[in-house]
Amino acid sequence: MIQYNTFTLNNGLTVIHHQDESTQLCVINTLYNVGSKHEDPNKTGFAHLFEHLMFGGSVNIEEFDEELQNAGGESNAFTSNDITNYYLTLPSNNIETGFWLESDRMLSLDFSQESLDVQKSVVIEEFKERYLNQPYGDVWLKILPLAYKVHPYSWPTIGKEISHIENATLDDVKAFFKSFYCPNNAVLVVAGNISLEKCKTLCEKWFAPIPKQQINKPPYQKEPKQTEPRKETVYAEVPQDMIVMAYHIPARTENGYYVADLISDILGAGKSARLYNALVKKNPMFSELDAYLSGDIDEGLLLVEGKLLPNISMEEAENAIISELDKLKIAEVEELELQKVKNKSETNILFNDVGSLNKAMKLAYAWVLGDIELVNKEAEIYLSVNQNDIKQLAKEIFDLNNCSTIYYRKK
Amino acid sequence: MNIDRTIAPQTEEISSFNLVEANSTKLENGINIHRIEAGNEAVLKVDFVFNAGSLNQSKKGQAALTNRMIGEGTSKYTAQQLADALDFYGAYINTRSATDESSVTLYCLSKHLNSCLTYIYEMFTDANFPEDDLKILTQNSVQKLAVNEQKNTFLVRKYFYASIFGEENPYGSSVNKEDYLNINRQDLIEFYQTNYINRLEHIMVSGQADNSTMIEIEAFCQKFNNTITRTILPFPAFGASAERKKFHNKPGSSQSAIRIGRPIFNRNHKDFRKFQLLNLILGGYFGSRLMKNIREDKGLTYGIYSSLESYKNGGCWYIETEMNNELREKGLIEIYKELKTLREELIDEEELQTAKNYLLGSFLRSIDSPFSLADRYKILLDYNLEYSYYQEFIEIVKTTNAEEIRSLANEYLQETDLYEIIVGS
Repeated sequence: MIQYNTFTLNNGLTVIHHQDESTQLCVINTLYNVGSKHEDPNKTGFAHLFEHLMFGGSVNIEEFDEELQNAGGESNAFTSNDITNYYLTLPSNNIETGFWLESDRMLSLDFSQESLDVQKSVVIEEFKERYLNQPYGDVWLKILPLAYKVHPYSWPTIGKEISHIENATLDDVKAFFKSFYCPNNAVLVVAGNISLEKCKTLCEKWFAPIPKQQINKPPYQKEPKQTEPRKETVYAEVPQDMIVMAYHIPARTENGYYVADLISDILGAGKSARLYNALVKKNPMFSELDAYLSGDIDEGLLLVEGKLLPNISMEEAENAIISELDKLKIAEVEELELQKVKNKSETNILFNDVGSLNKAMKLAYAWVLGDIELVNKEAEIYLSVNQNDIKQLAKEIFDLNNCSTIYYRKK
Repeated sequence: MNIDRTIAPQTEEISSFNLVEANSTKLENGINIHRIEAGNEAVLKVDFVFNAGSLNQSKKGQAALTNRMIGEGTSKYTAQQLADALDFYGAYINTRSATDESSVTLYCLSKHLNSCLTYIYEMFTDANFPEDDLKILTQNSVQKLAVNEQKNTFLVRKYFYASIFGEENPYGSSVNKEDYLNINRQDLIEFYQTNYINRLEHIMVSGQADNSTMIEIEAFCQKFNNTITRTILPFPAFGASAERKKFHNKPGSSQSAIRIGRPIFNRNHKDFRKFQLLNLILGGYFGSRLMKNIREDKGLTYGIYSSLESYKNGGCWYIETEMNNELREKGLIEIYKELKTLREELIDEEELQTAKNYLLGSFLRSIDSPFSLADRYKILLDYNLEYSYYQEFIEIVKTTNAEEIRSLANEYLQETDLYEIIVGS
């Protein structure tokens, strides 16, 4: 059970406070409700590039990191399809430094061509390191545009292609800031050894003076229901063939999301999971085989990903996966098996609650989902899923007309 | 309210810390139980540690595969039955095999500990290493290795350790395809009987380890019939390579993976903690000289770090990064320039103070969760140290001056002592 208080400043900034007197630290987690799905399809990778620029100095503070480190703090950030999340941790007696730094970069950045140029090259190197210079690293760049034809999840957070990052101008960056980086498009979570009173005072002092802005979120289209199987073959210098199958699932805020999560656990979590036992152990066709969710807010994906043993053909592999998935459509899972994955989610939830930073991120994310109390409700939602829910959703999603498949073949 | 945003709020130096200490008991059968009771969630991490690292093996891959097969079946339960049972309690099992020791870690909710221990006990006393499961494991390990060998970062790491410690030394050797194929069931059974059965050395319990938890743990330990005490094996000699610079060509790579470093002392050496500060200044955090120069100023890489690693019988220090092939030479020049600057020039007070403050802050972060507290205590156990080690760490960090940093750099960071390994094109 995570206890918290919330209040809203006059400029529309939502603040969530969580107190933990057993720690000597304090966390400030700032989530901006903007991710790569809000980007222009011709200027992708922007939300993430922008995240890098947020460390390049703000209007009144030249060196963000140096000031923070000098107070004993550390910070980082990540960008997803849906959000951009910044976090910093400080010894709790120095937490005002965090308020000072975080509020100044919400107020305005020190936009410089030089900093933009450097961060463009850093992000291009990141693109290469993560997506190009890794065996199978580009599979994400292939599967997304196959699964999404209309919705902006069709490109990854890093961007569609390197040229989009290369072409970013200072004006683009300024416009992005103006559209999305403002108190009324953010949530601030202050967690750790800090009283509510002190939290309120510091929020009023540092964040309340930041003016509210007009948010310009361009509308994007919902992905229409897929009505045909989609397949693509990729050839690359890899040691073994791989298959990835992606099925559309319900949105994060729907009950079906939790059902899909349990389905992915039944199939792919741990050594007792169905796919592992059937196709890695009993009848070995894969050296590795997993199932997982993409974890997006809008309608996301359940992915099955497997590396084939050398003597196995792609068709055999695909059919074997499909027949395992079909079993969920035909017979109800046994009570015990369902209980098992529910117990796993209980463990995951509790382990993810350890530490103020984890709690702060969870609170911020629940805010974006529209209900902060979700942090305490999700365990019950998982428990309420029954055998029939699993069967019904499996019937709905495990349909080849709802599936995008990548055959990743070795050259 | 008008505030001047150009003025930083007052900050305080970190001078004291609250560290939850471990409680240790030694049972009559020699098993040590260490308890760290901390945290607000009803979760537990339980590490079971055996003196069963690769140092103890007679064949390459023997220690690692025995460790990974420990949950793959006993005479009472098949691998799947064990996995089903532990997964049913929502538990996770991690196995880890290193040079100095091997361990099995259980993550579970406090309420399920006792149920999980029943199965863990079977694994530690009655594992039977089924032939078929072993075949699958070796086959899949070979496949995984083939994927890893396409990663420049994996290769550079492997070549680096081999260069600085020697391929025959346990710290420098790595398992290859032939080693995996060469291991049979009998090898694992032998290793298990000699190094696991009745050889549990210690258990570290961290999290909400209340009294009832500890009663369960103690009852579990009492079941073992440990009699033999640990034999300290002689540590084989190091055999560093004579060649200090190696370039491994990997056609088609868009980036080069680079490691530059050397073997160095371990945690028991008097200069270790001071060197941690020096390492931090050079490449140990985001504000380091390497990161600022090579990433933040020149944009040559996504990341560049330097690290200090300590083992029971040695240690090493290195810089690692991945860089665009075309700009690699430019990057290397900058790396050596930074090392030279550290050796020749005095660090200015402001930079030194920032590094110190950051290091003290990160120490506070490293004692914040029950699991990280267990990691801190494990360090003390491994190197026969007392908790005062950490109080002294704070003092050493605070009092080290610019001259000491420079002389440390001169002593340990001479270019002629360094190895440079590159995998790229």
